[in-house]
Amino acid sequence: MMHIYKIDGNTLQVVCCSPEDIRKGDYLLINDVVAKRGLIAQVVNTGYANVPGILGDILREPSTSRVMGKDLDPLEMRPYVNMIKDAKSFTCKIRRGVIDETLDDDISWVPSRSISRVEKLPDEKLIKMVGVGQDHSISIGTTKRGAKVSIDIASIDGKLNIITGKKETGKSHLSKLLVLGLISRGGICVVFDVNGEYVNLGYTSDGEKGPFYDKIIVLSPGENFKVTLKYAGLNVLLSVMSSVLDLPTTSAWEFRRVWQYLLKSGMLSLRELGEAIRSVKNNYVQDALLRRYESLVATGFFTDYAEDAITLEDVLKKIKKGGVLVFNLQNLPPTFRRIIVEFLLNKFSQLLRRWVIRAIFLFAEEAHLYLRETYWDDVVTRMRHLGVFTTFVTNQPDSIREGVYRQADNIFLFNFTNENDLDIVSRATRVDVETVRVIACELPPHHCLMLGKAVKDFPLIVKVNPIDAKTMGQTRLFFTNL
Amino acid sequence: MEVADLSYTSPKDFMTLGFGSLKNIVDLSFRPRHVNLLELGVEDLDYDREIKADIVDGKRLEKVGLHPILEDTPVFGIDTSSIELGETKDGILCAVRGSVVWRYDSGYQYTRYGPFIFHITETNKRVLYNKLRQAYFGSRDAVTAPSLWWMPGRIRNVLERWLQNLVCQSCRGSLLLWDGSLTAWTFDSPVSVLSETLHAARNRGNVVLAFSKKTRFYVADRRIADLIDDRETPCLLKIDDAIRLQYGSSLCFFGRVYAAKLAPGYFTFRLDVDREVPEEEGIRAVERLIGNDLVIESYPETLRLAHITTRFSASEVIGMQRYIAENYGMRIVGRPDVRQVLFGPYAGASSQGWEGERVYDAHL
Repeated sequence: MMHIYKIDGNTLQVVCCSPEDIRKGDYLLINDVVAKRGLIAQVVNTGYANVPGILGDILREPSTSRVMGKDLDPLEMRPYVNMIKDAKSFTCKIRRGVIDETLDDDISWVPSRSISRVEKLPDEKLIKMVGVGQDHSISIGTTKRGAKVSIDIASIDGKLNIITGKKETGKSHLSKLLVLGLISRGGICVVFDVNGEYVNLGYTSDGEKGPFYDKIIVLSPGENFKVTLKYAGLNVLLSVMSSVLDLPTTSAWEFRRVWQYLLKSGMLSLRELGEAIRSVKNNYVQDALLRRYESLVATGFFTDYAEDAITLEDVLKKIKKGGVLVFNLQNLPPTFRRIIVEFLLNKFSQLLRRWVIRAIFLFAEEAHLYLRETYWDDVVTRMRHLGVFTTFVTNQPDSIREGVYRQADNIFLFNFTNENDLDIVSRATRVDVETVRVIACELPPHHCLMLGKAVKDFPLIVKVNPIDAKTMGQTRLFFTNL
Repeated sequence: MEVADLSYTSPKDFMTLGFGSLKNIVDLSFRPRHVNLLELGVEDLDYDREIKADIVDGKRLEKVGLHPILEDTPVFGIDTSSIELGETKDGILCAVRGSVVWRYDSGYQYTRYGPFIFHITETNKRVLYNKLRQAYFGSRDAVTAPSLWWMPGRIRNVLERWLQNLVCQSCRGSLLLWDGSLTAWTFDSPVSVLSETLHAARNRGNVVLAFSKKTRFYVADRRIADLIDDRETPCLLKIDDAIRLQYGSSLCFFGRVYAAKLAPGYFTFRLDVDREVPEEEGIRAVERLIGNDLVIESYPETLRLAHITTRFSASEVIGMQRYIAENYGMRIVGRPDVRQVLFGPYAGASSQGWEGERVYDAHL
């Protein structure tokens, strides 16, 4: 039996004095039968009720614990006393009001303490009431009590998502689940795969070709992913050279002049570009350009042979009805990695601007390893309007700027034990600090706390579904025979 | 050493009379006793009479040095407690409980009796009290019941006398430690009952030792403890003559009265040793006590544990209130506290819980 103890702001204290299986993350329905309205509150912390004198009882206990004895208790009072001693107190956050099973945003009223009925709100009922994952949804997993949780495609379409948690808690697994869910619905995804975890996503766990085999295209820069200079274009190359290779402005102007000359004379190739740079009269500029040129050539990403090169347009045609482009950045030197990402983001922006593609879902694993500082805001604002809907996946929450958390529409939070990490995540505006701090540190592996639009701002603890695909990256080990 | 099984019997009349009183509640509104957050325990008033013994000349008092006797002797401690649980429109609800603790095989064991819950009203208190007296004291004369507020203590006293009698009848060659004194003065401690119980104890080779925390001794306005140096402990101070001189006309002393300082420390307790036991044997009983039981601050551990196991904790009080509400369909109501209403924050602690000073309704 549960009763309201007190309300302070949107924090509700509930006392429970007979054993009820209520856990952190569960929802309670507070129904004021006279006011004919209710409140939905989520349990964010649990503890013992502050029973008067309990401290005295506990302090006295050691005196009698060494005394064996028999109780002739005709009224069988012991269970009642134990019930009092075990009375629980639940700290809850009020999430929304409810009138006639319909959600109501008004939570400014206070329910009657004496007549309100407090009962557990079953997960299935909550999900139905909230209207999560009804049409065009992706199945994510189940709640702790087994209710199925799906999220509407619309809740991640056009949105900014963050998947974060400490290592080996299941972040990439969820990311892959979202990718597969999106491509099964016709979405086009792009993955920056720094650990080579997505390259085998087309295969089942048995190593057979999976249902999405044809929809997953793995591109390894310098190997099966090369482009011609002409396809890359001056603006993209200049952007790469300036942003990644720190080309000074004066040299950039000289590069532009050289490029335009070669283009006009129909001689734009890597070899000719090198020759033209070597003929630049100013030694400083020549040296600056030459070093950047050699860096680009060393990547092996650019080619003069059209038969070796591919275009993103051609690749995208293959996954017109949904698919994923996995850019395998594993084992690439950091500069090369940044060149590729700079190239791709510029190129995708162009394609989106020209409406070659409608939108892409970008999954950026450990983006701080390859995304330059100034890009964060760009990805979150300008590129989002162009149609780049990003999901950041990271185990270092401090690598993502605070502004990004504030802009995030959905956060999938896995276990964190470090309080500093939790502090950073709790800056997200879509949830209160206590919910994050208390619940996230107790999440078991493969369980995440879903926050944001995907769950209509009703934080849910979800056990993420397994995937029948090769999801593990190939880690090089020393003791392979163990 | 064989120890009697004390759990073979229970005070059945306490059960039946308690049940009966609860079943007959007419008005089901119940104002539970407030359990104060700051209270570590919620023990109610001790109904034992307080005695202040003023001894004029301390030099005449004889000291008896004690030497622990390690010969294996069973030690039993008996204690009871009562507590008010709340008020109904017609009266009060209270609970009583008793406990026997014994030292056995270098450890302690206990048997606890109760709690027994009673609903006491102006209408039923006389019947209730006399039935209990009849059942446990064998008393046929009906007496007037005390005021409602004293009834829990009286019921507790009946339970205590029953327990004392039970242990006296069940044990042999043991030391029986009682809480309080061996003094009889009122209906709740009839001379005949106390006398018969002590007689039963003696017949089985038991010695009753009663420790009182209530008696305060003063010798020329000084605490009697100051007369006994820690280096002289353990020892007894014979104050029997002085006490009897002061209170003998109004009280019946069944015990030989000593001031006992059984261990170094601050406290000295009044110790009554059954008067019918020869004096030397009584002193030897105390020596066997300090040889067999742990004594801290002059108080035996067995009796201390009896006290601890019998007293009600705050959570037990709330548990019993819940039991009553659930099993007898009582509605918990809050009745305004007159002190709180009139004096607000100046009402003092009594307005938040137990009122030490009782005010009684006038029944005209």
